[in-house]
Amino acid sequence: MLDELAKIRENALARLKGIKTEEELDALNTEILGRNGALTAILRTMGKLSPEERAELGKAANSAKQALTAAIGERRSSIAELIESVKNERERIDVTLPGITGTPMGKLNPLTTVYREIRDALIGLGFTTFEGPEIEYDDYNFTKLNLPLDHPARDMQDTFYIDEKTLLRTHTSPCEARALMTLEPPFRLVIPGRVFRVDEPDASHSPVFMQMEGLVVDKDLTFADLKGTIDTFVKAVFGENVRSRLRPSFFPFTEPSAEVDISCTICGGEGCSSCKGTGWMEIMGCGITNPHEIENCGLDPKEWKAFAFGIGIDRVACLKYGINDIRLLYEGDARFLKQL
Amino acid sequence: MKLPLKWLKDYVNYNVSHDEFVRRMLLRGFEIADVIPEMPNIKNVCVCTITNIEQHPNAERLRVCDIDIGEEEQLKIVTNAANVTVGCQVPVALDGARLTDGMEVKPTKMRGIMSYGMFCGGAELGINDVEYEGAGVDSVLILNERHPNGQRIQEALGLDDVIFDIELTPNRPDCQSIVGICREAASALGQPFNEPVIERIQGEGNADDYASVTIDNPELCPRYCARVVTDLKIEPSPKWMQLRLKLVGLRPINNIVDITNYVLIEYGHPMHAFDLACVEGGHIIVRNADEGEVVTTLDGKDRTMSSDMLLIADPKKGVGIAGVMGGENSEITANTKATLFESAVFIPSNIRHTTQKLHHSTDSSARFVKGVEAVNAEIAVNRAIELVYKLGAGRVIGNMIDVCAADVSERNAIADCDHINSILDTEFTAEQMCSLLASINIPAVPEGNKLNITVPHFRTDIETGVETDWDIAEEIGRLYGYDNIPSTLMHGDTFQGKLGSRFAFEDLVKDTMVALGFMEAYNYNFTSPQEYEMLRIPETDEKRLTVRIRNPFGEDQSLMRTTLIGGLLRTMLVNYNRKTGVGRFFEVGNVHFNNNSEGLPEERKLLSFICFGTNENFFTAKGVIEQLFNVLGVENARFDAGGGEYFHPGRKAIISIDGDVIGELGTINSKVQKAFGLPSYSIVAELNFDKLMNHIRAVRKYRPIPKFPIVQRDIAIIVDKDVAAQNVIDVINSAKVRVIIENCRVFDVYYPTEPGDKGIPEGKKSMAFSFDLRSDERTLNDEDINQAVKAILKTLKFRLDAELRS
Repeated sequence: MLDELAKIRENALARLKGIKTEEELDALNTEILGRNGALTAILRTMGKLSPEERAELGKAANSAKQALTAAIGERRSSIAELIESVKNERERIDVTLPGITGTPMGKLNPLTTVYREIRDALIGLGFTTFEGPEIEYDDYNFTKLNLPLDHPARDMQDTFYIDEKTLLRTHTSPCEARALMTLEPPFRLVIPGRVFRVDEPDASHSPVFMQMEGLVVDKDLTFADLKGTIDTFVKAVFGENVRSRLRPSFFPFTEPSAEVDISCTICGGEGCSSCKGTGWMEIMGCGITNPHEIENCGLDPKEWKAFAFGIGIDRVACLKYGINDIRLLYEGDARFLKQL
Repeated sequence: MKLPLKWLKDYVNYNVSHDEFVRRMLLRGFEIADVIPEMPNIKNVCVCTITNIEQHPNAERLRVCDIDIGEEEQLKIVTNAANVTVGCQVPVALDGARLTDGMEVKPTKMRGIMSYGMFCGGAELGINDVEYEGAGVDSVLILNERHPNGQRIQEALGLDDVIFDIELTPNRPDCQSIVGICREAASALGQPFNEPVIERIQGEGNADDYASVTIDNPELCPRYCARVVTDLKIEPSPKWMQLRLKLVGLRPINNIVDITNYVLIEYGHPMHAFDLACVEGGHIIVRNADEGEVVTTLDGKDRTMSSDMLLIADPKKGVGIAGVMGGENSEITANTKATLFESAVFIPSNIRHTTQKLHHSTDSSARFVKGVEAVNAEIAVNRAIELVYKLGAGRVIGNMIDVCAADVSERNAIADCDHINSILDTEFTAEQMCSLLASINIPAVPEGNKLNITVPHFRTDIETGVETDWDIAEEIGRLYGYDNIPSTLMHGDTFQGKLGSRFAFEDLVKDTMVALGFMEAYNYNFTSPQEYEMLRIPETDEKRLTVRIRNPFGEDQSLMRTTLIGGLLRTMLVNYNRKTGVGRFFEVGNVHFNNNSEGLPEERKLLSFICFGTNENFFTAKGVIEQLFNVLGVENARFDAGGGEYFHPGRKAIISIDGDVIGELGTINSKVQKAFGLPSYSIVAELNFDKLMNHIRAVRKYRPIPKFPIVQRDIAIIVDKDVAAQNVIDVINSAKVRVIIENCRVFDVYYPTEPGDKGIPEGKKSMAFSFDLRSDERTLNDEDINQAVKAILKTLKFRLDAELRS
C-alpha cells in the first residue's frame, strides 16, 4: 500500500506540472483527493490493517495529502496569475489615442478675458464697477465733459448720431458725468463698456470697440497719485517688469492731460518693429479731471479733485496676444477663438 | 505740421541729435511721427568724376565713360548724354539705386558693353533749378562745385535737410505755424527763441481810396484785415521761397500767391489775395450767401452755396467762399495790376459746416476749423506786406484796412501757486514758475503766492477763469517734465473694491456657456432693415421698434439691433463656410428699443446662443438652458410651445420662470435658414439677461435630505398625440395623494407607426413617466404606494383622458 501511495503521489505531482487550466486542476483534485479519489480509496482500506501498519500508512497518507493539497494550491495560484497576465495583455491599450469628452469646452472672446484682467486689477486697487448706457445723451458724452457744441475736439471723435440730443457714446467717459452727478464722493470706479466711432473697419479700426474707464474722486488727489495708480495698474496688467511713462497730451475732459506709454512688451524697451524702435508703446490716455467737468456735474472743483484714465481693451488684447487685425475679435471665427 | 530743420534753424540754435530732439518734443507733448529726409525717394546716388570718355564701338550715339566714385576701381558707365566731358562731376546712380519715379537701377549691358550705373539729371532726381542751379537742364546734371567723389548726392546738392512731421493736439492751433512750433522747440532745446521781427510797412497814399470792407455778419467773421498793393510785378517768387514751399509740400505759383502761402506756413494764418480790379468798386462784403448762389472757385469748380455759408462778395457777385477758397473770377493772374490781401478770422463751426456741406476742404479751411485768432490776422497781413516790399513785388498802399469786432485787448490771468503745487504734488516758488513760463514766451510776474500772467494772444487755450490754475499747472508740469513729478500711492480713505452683482452674474453666465461648449461672439450692434425681413419678424413685433442711426456707414448698418439672433446666424455662417467644425456660439450683448418718447431708448441686455450641426436638435439646446439654469440656481423654469416667427412653427418654446417670460428657444424656420444661407437647421435661444438675474436664488439654503426611503414608480399611459409632456407632469404633480410626489420626468414617448400599432389607437400616443414617492413621517408601505398610483391614474384619466397602457 505504501508503494501504491508513493506512486499516486509521484504520479499526481508529475501530472500537476502539465496542468494549464483551472478545470484540469479541479479534475485532478477530484481524481486524487475527492470523495472517490485514489488517495481517499487508500485511506478507506486502512480499517483492514493492523494498528502498526495503520499508523504507518496513516502518516504517509496524511503527508501525501498535505503535499498534494499544497502543490495543487500553488499550481492554482500560478494558473490564476497566468490568466490575469494574459487578460492584462489582451487589455493593453494605446495610451496615445485621444481622450474623450462629451462636448468640448468653448472659449471666451479675448475681449472678455482681457477686460476681466484689467477690471480685476483695478478692483484690487479699491475700484468698484459702474456702468452706463450705450446710447447716450450728447450732453453727457460731450457737453458735461467740457466739450461744448462746436468744440474743435468733437472732431477727434467722429460720432454716430441718433438725433440732435442722442448718440452712440464715443467713449465710456459719459459714465463719469453720471457717477459725479449721482454718487456720493469719494469713490473709485472702473467703468467698462462698448463704445462707437465712425471708423470704417480695417486692421486697426473698428466702429465698435471696448473701453474701460477709471475714475477716482477724493478731496486730496494729485498728479503724482495719478502716476502712481497708473504705474501700479500697468504692472498688474502687463507684468512687474513693465515700466510706464506719462507724457503731455490733450483731452478736453482732463487738465493736465497725459498719454501713457508702457515699455514695449515685445522687446522690453530695447526698440523693435512693434514699438517703431522707440521702446515704448502708447496704451491709454489719462489726466486730472478738468474743473469744468467737475463743475458741470455739480461738484466744487476746489473741494473735490478727480483723475481719470481710459484704456482700449481691444488694443490691449491685440498687444497681449499679438493680434494684428482688430476685426478678428468681432468675426467669431472659431479657429481664432480656440487659439487664445 | 511739417517743420523743415532749415526753417527751425532760422530761429533756434539746433544743438542736439534728431533722436534727442524727437524725444524732447515728445515729452513736451509734441509727437514727431516721422523724420523725413529731403529727397526721400533717392537712394544710392553719389558724386562721380568722369575720367575718360570713349566712343561706343557698336553705337554711334553712345559713349563709354570711366568714372571715379572715390574707390580704388573705376567703373564704366555707358551714356547717351552729350553734355558730359572729361573732368566734370555728375550724379551717378549705382547698382541698386532708386530714383524719384521709383525706378531701380541695375548694371545693364548696352550694345555689348556693361554699364554699371546711370548718370542722372534733375528729372531723375526730382529737382529743378529751384533746388539747384542747372538741375533744370534736360540732360545730365553737371555739378557747379567740386565735391568728394562718392559723396551722397543729397549732401552735394545741399538738399540733405530733414523735415519733422509733428502731430499736434487740438488745444494748440498756435503750433500750426513755423513760428509757433519753433517757440516750443526752442524751449525744448533750452535755447533762446529768436522771434522774427516784422517791419511794418507804411505805404504811400490811403488804402481807403482803393478798397473798403463791410462785414454783415460779425458773429461769423469777427475780424477782417486787408491791405492793398498796386503796380504789381507778377513773376515767380524767389528761389528760397519756392524751396521752402516745396519742402512743406506746396506748389509755387507766383510771387503774390506764394507770399500768402508762405505766411500761412510761417504764421499759421490763412490769407487770400484778390485781383483788386475784379472786385467791384474795391468793396469787399462779408455776408451770408444767398440760397443756391453759385461761386466758381480757383480750382474751376462750381460750388452751390446755402444761406448758412459765409461768402466774400463785392456789391455784385461772390468772389470767394469765406475760409475755404477764393473765386476764379478774382484770381491773381499774370495780368493782375493790383491786389487786396485778405487776412480774416472766421468762426470754426461755420467753416467746418461749410466744408462738410460742400465736401471740400483746403489747407486754409483746416486752419480755420482748428481756430485762428484775431491778433495773428493782423500780424499775418503785415508780414505779407513786408514780403511784398522786400521782394519788390509792387507798391504798398497806405495802411491796413481793419474791421474788427473781436476783442484783441490783452488778457490777464491770476494763478494760485499753492493750488498748482497741490495739483502737481510739486514745491515750486512763484519765481520758479515764472521762469518756466518765460521759456515759452508766457510773461508772468510773481505777486506773493500768485502769478500775474499776461496770456499771449496765441495761447487761446489758456483760460482766464476757473480753469487757469489747471491750465498753468499743465504748462508747469509739461515744462518741468512729467517724468520729474514723483509717483505716489493715493492717500486718504481706503476703499474696498467691489465687483457689482450684475457684472458677477455676467461672468458666471459666460463661464457656464463656455463650459457647455460655446464660443463667445462679439457682433457689431448694427443691423439692416433687410435682416428683419430675413428673420420674418412681423411689422407689429416689438423687435421692429429699432433705433435708427442718422449717419450710418450704409443702409445695411443703419439700425441698432433688437435681437442677437441675426448676428449669431451670420457668425454661424462664417464658421460653416470656413469649415471650423464648431457649431456652438453665444453672445451677451445689449439691444435697444425705440419705445421711449421721453429719454433714452430702452437698453436691454440679452444672452443668446446658437447650436448647429448633426449632433444638435431642439432638445440638446434645451438641455443647455436646463444646465445653465441649474448652475445659476434658477428653479421653476417652464417651456411652453410658442415663440417668434423665425422659428419652426412646431419646434419653438417660450421660457418662463414663475410665470415671468424670460425668453424663447426654437429650431430656426427653414425659410429663415435659407435667407441666411445656412445649409441645415440650427437651434437658437434668446434670454433676457436681467430678468434671468432676477430669478436666481438669491439665498441658497440647505434642505434636509429625506430621512425615509424614496420609492420610484414608472407608469406608461396612452393619451391624445397633442398632449404635451409638461401637461402630463403638471397633472401628476397636482394629484391629490397623501404622499409626496417629486421629480416627475418623462422617459419615453412612442407614436404608433400605423393605426393600432402596439395597441395604440389612432390619434393617440404612448408616454412613460417616472416619479418619486416618499413621506416625511415614515417608510411607505404597499398600500400607500398603490393608493397614490391609483389616484394619479384617476386624475390623469379625468383631466387628460389618459389610459394606463397595459
